[in-house]
Amino acid sequence: MPAAALDPGLLLVLAVMLPATGAVAALALPGRWAGRIAFGLWPLGLAVAVAVAWTVWAAGAPLHYAVGGWAPPLGLMLRADGPSALMLLVAAIVIGAAGLYARADLRPEPGATESRAAVVFWTLLMALWSALNAVALGGDLFNLYVALELLTFSAIPLVCLGGSAKTLQAALRYLVFALVGSVLYLLGTALLYGAYGTLDIVLLSGRAGPEPAAILACALMIAGLAAKTALFPLHLWLPPAHAGAPPAASAVLSGLVVKASFFLIVRLWFDVMPGLSTAAAANLIGALGAGAILAGSVMALRQARLKLMIAYSTVAQIGYLFLMVPLLFGVPQAEIAANAAWSGGWLQLASHALAKAAMFLAAGLIAEAAGHDRIHGLDGVGRAVPVAVLAFTLAGLSLVGLPPSGGFAAKWLLLSAAVATGQWWWAVVMILGGLLAAFYLFPVIGRAYADGTAAFARPRDARSREFVVLALAVAAALLGLSQLYPPGLLRIGLGSGLAGAGVP
Amino acid sequence: MTATLLLAATLALPLALLAALALPRLRRLVPKALALAPLPALVVALAAAPLGLAPLLDAGSAMLLGAVAFLWIAAGACAPMILRGASDAPRLAGWWLLTLAGNLGVFVAADLVSFYLVYAMVSLSAYGLVVHDGTTRARAAGFAYLALGMLGEALLLMGFVLAAAAVPDGSLAIRDAVAALPGSPWRDATLIFLLAGFGLKIGLVPLHVWIPLAHSAAPLPVSVVLSGAVVKAGVIGLLRFLPFDAAMADLGANLGMAFATVGLVTAYYGVLVGITQSNPKTVLAYSTLSQMGLVAAVVGMGLAAGDAGAVTAASLYAVHHVLAKGALFLAVGLAAARRSLLVLGLTAIVGLGLAGLPLTGGMIAKSVIKVPLGDGVIATLAGLASIGTTLLILHFVGRLAAKASGDAPMPLALRSAWIAVAMAALAVPWALAPGDAVAKALTAEAMWQAAWPIGIGAVLALALQRFGHRLPAVPEGDVAASGTALARLMQQGSDATARLEAHLRAWPVAGLSLLALALVLSLALGAR
Repeated sequence: MPAAALDPGLLLVLAVMLPATGAVAALALPGRWAGRIAFGLWPLGLAVAVAVAWTVWAAGAPLHYAVGGWAPPLGLMLRADGPSALMLLVAAIVIGAAGLYARADLRPEPGATESRAAVVFWTLLMALWSALNAVALGGDLFNLYVALELLTFSAIPLVCLGGSAKTLQAALRYLVFALVGSVLYLLGTALLYGAYGTLDIVLLSGRAGPEPAAILACALMIAGLAAKTALFPLHLWLPPAHAGAPPAASAVLSGLVVKASFFLIVRLWFDVMPGLSTAAAANLIGALGAGAILAGSVMALRQARLKLMIAYSTVAQIGYLFLMVPLLFGVPQAEIAANAAWSGGWLQLASHALAKAAMFLAAGLIAEAAGHDRIHGLDGVGRAVPVAVLAFTLAGLSLVGLPPSGGFAAKWLLLSAAVATGQWWWAVVMILGGLLAAFYLFPVIGRAYADGTAAFARPRDARSREFVVLALAVAAALLGLSQLYPPGLLRIGLGSGLAGAGVP
Repeated sequence: MTATLLLAATLALPLALLAALALPRLRRLVPKALALAPLPALVVALAAAPLGLAPLLDAGSAMLLGAVAFLWIAAGACAPMILRGASDAPRLAGWWLLTLAGNLGVFVAADLVSFYLVYAMVSLSAYGLVVHDGTTRARAAGFAYLALGMLGEALLLMGFVLAAAAVPDGSLAIRDAVAALPGSPWRDATLIFLLAGFGLKIGLVPLHVWIPLAHSAAPLPVSVVLSGAVVKAGVIGLLRFLPFDAAMADLGANLGMAFATVGLVTAYYGVLVGITQSNPKTVLAYSTLSQMGLVAAVVGMGLAAGDAGAVTAASLYAVHHVLAKGALFLAVGLAAARRSLLVLGLTAIVGLGLAGLPLTGGMIAKSVIKVPLGDGVIATLAGLASIGTTLLILHFVGRLAAKASGDAPMPLALRSAWIAVAMAALAVPWALAPGDAVAKALTAEAMWQAAWPIGIGAVLALALQRFGHRLPAVPEGDVAASGTALARLMQQGSDATARLEAHLRAWPVAGLSLLALALVLSLALGAR
């Protein structure tokens, strides 16, 4: 069959199935194959992500594929709009970087056999990738529930890969909280199915109105997802989990996994129940985001350990994402995708994913060179791992929000939206958040470049890992330049007048 | 297009040298080449008109860029003398070049985003220069510098977002933002953020504490560029972003007057605190904020009157300050080596130029700003400020003479840089003066007007020398002490947040929060 006749929607199936197959194969084949499978699959997965983004962008419309040929409400539908394509791309990039970093990190000593942790890591990484892609592409709420569970259950073991009692405790915390979140989400799904007889996103958006069942379902699902996103004040599990995991795992957890549940919140809020939002609800979510920015930043400022500081910084940076909700309140659904707050929110998601992954990986190298991650003991560590410190600096500039980073462009867009809608209080919070970020990041950077008397050892295989981290940080630092071009991709939303996507 | 490329070339050499630091073979050479880095900028500034750069680099910006580049060259020649060895050379060179590139960039950046980038570069990278010595004092000064610098960045970001929001077609060009400002629905808010952000950089009271701390703790060549050149990033920001437009004449009157008043308060405040200081570098730092207060008065009056002439006048005044303040700081380095009457005498003349001493370049600079200052109370007070300037400069010369000792040879680089900058301070304003300003300044009437405040200032200086010991000892950075009160308040806020956060992280509380969120959210969604 000629390639042209293939349904481009098959790409969506590939995006989910490639890593899933890899995960199964890694389990089935001997241990030393796990890493090789992951590296063989990664370029293919990246190519699929690029192809999906290209197809969606070129067509100017969402891509969809009915699995098995059955249309909803009976069949399963995979859909890709602009934000899904962005998620696929970011996931492929961060997973690739984490994998390259981990390859050196987990490489067995010469002569030793592949460790158990390595096999587990590669298997989980691929399962996690598959789940992330399924979250980005899932077209109905139950499908998304399954994807979310797969994501949670591949993320949690990554936390305790080191196997110490402390990380086990962190993982357990994460597990319990994530499960409660899942239960709330599932309850909401059941309510919606009972009331409307379908869980398909697009069908639901046509049927669900502000009835009690929909309201209760929405509240339960958003609360459950907020717990999984670690939205303040539901963030108790995040700092120990993200700070305790091995660097490559932290990068994936902080960069990608929390974004998946946020992605679903946006799907619910703007695509499934566009008519449901009220000013009070939008402001409540915005207030939690603002609380996350301020409390997360202050807590980051107080941390004595580098990885905990970075983890609290994630709590703060997640807050910016939620400001999308009040900033887009009252915008007609057809115009949402063209709004500055929409592009700003997604850009914040992408740039934080890249910057935070780079920062955790850089911190891994720094901690390896120093033998600890106490910030006070890092004076002069820049001499041992100069490229990692440079990467940390670049990633930091994106978090603080200096041009031309993605963080700057995102903040600029969100601030513009706040000014345009007269909601200056969110602007004040965002500006304060940037200031506080500078205050917790610059001292670390200053110490790393300062003179120091402590002896640092250059880590094994540092060179290759340093350049992976640098590439990631440079991508974050230059992401803002993407705004020089019309942000066409992000304007293709499921909600913006394309409700017919794949629905009979 | 060619013009834009030429302007961009001013940054190319500093950035190329910065990149050369990454190459082990070239790394040793870069610290020796710091004086070359600003050369393209100097050429561009001198040849702005023949090169056809006028639309992008107006006359005021061009002369200020030229003076700033010149001072960076002089200071760059002296920079290697503060190195302790091979280990800190690349680091000093790196921060130096980043600060330099940012400092030159603020004159040539054409849009809001690149301006924000270069402004952040000059503000934040200078931190690395301030803390170069690594002493506790330098670190404390660096912290104050960085903290207030970041505050300035935050204020400007808000100002820029507001300014851009008013541009109808979404253009980010500074020119379009300034043109749209008088009609902006957020006009006053935009102006307040811009005035506060740039005002912080030029050290207006009460956001001035970082200037005396940083300028005196930094190594000498760094103080030279901080006080002479880096501060001018704030001046050029004011001149490039404010609408000196007849359309603003009524709208900007209140804000302009308020800004001019803050400027004058700063001008006198700098003198009053400056005369209580004994470290010559600290005295000079207070003189810098006093002088920048006068620039703010000119800018404010220009804004209030919608007078575009204020831009050129303020630029010329700032050019003189770049050179004079550079020469004064360089003299501190010379005096540390050896007591020389020539140095002290010429320093007094150049310094009194800031007060408008007849026949110095400062006299021209003073006479040029009289026009935008008008003839009201502000103008009178600005004129009388010369008395204070005289007092402060003579106090500085006295402190310098008291500290000057020893018989070490004066370093050649320092000596040549000092002579060149001092001569430029005396001569350059005459060459740049517009129209009939020179003829007007050379009348007997003008001479007398310029001379009598200096006479009074000199008498006061004698009194200060006699009774100065009775003045209260004001700590360096004066109200920085109240900064510790602020810091304590912030610490309390931080502690309270931490207690709250620890409480929220407890299992039962977190579980309840989750259920509460679901409940409140459903109520909020139902409230329609």
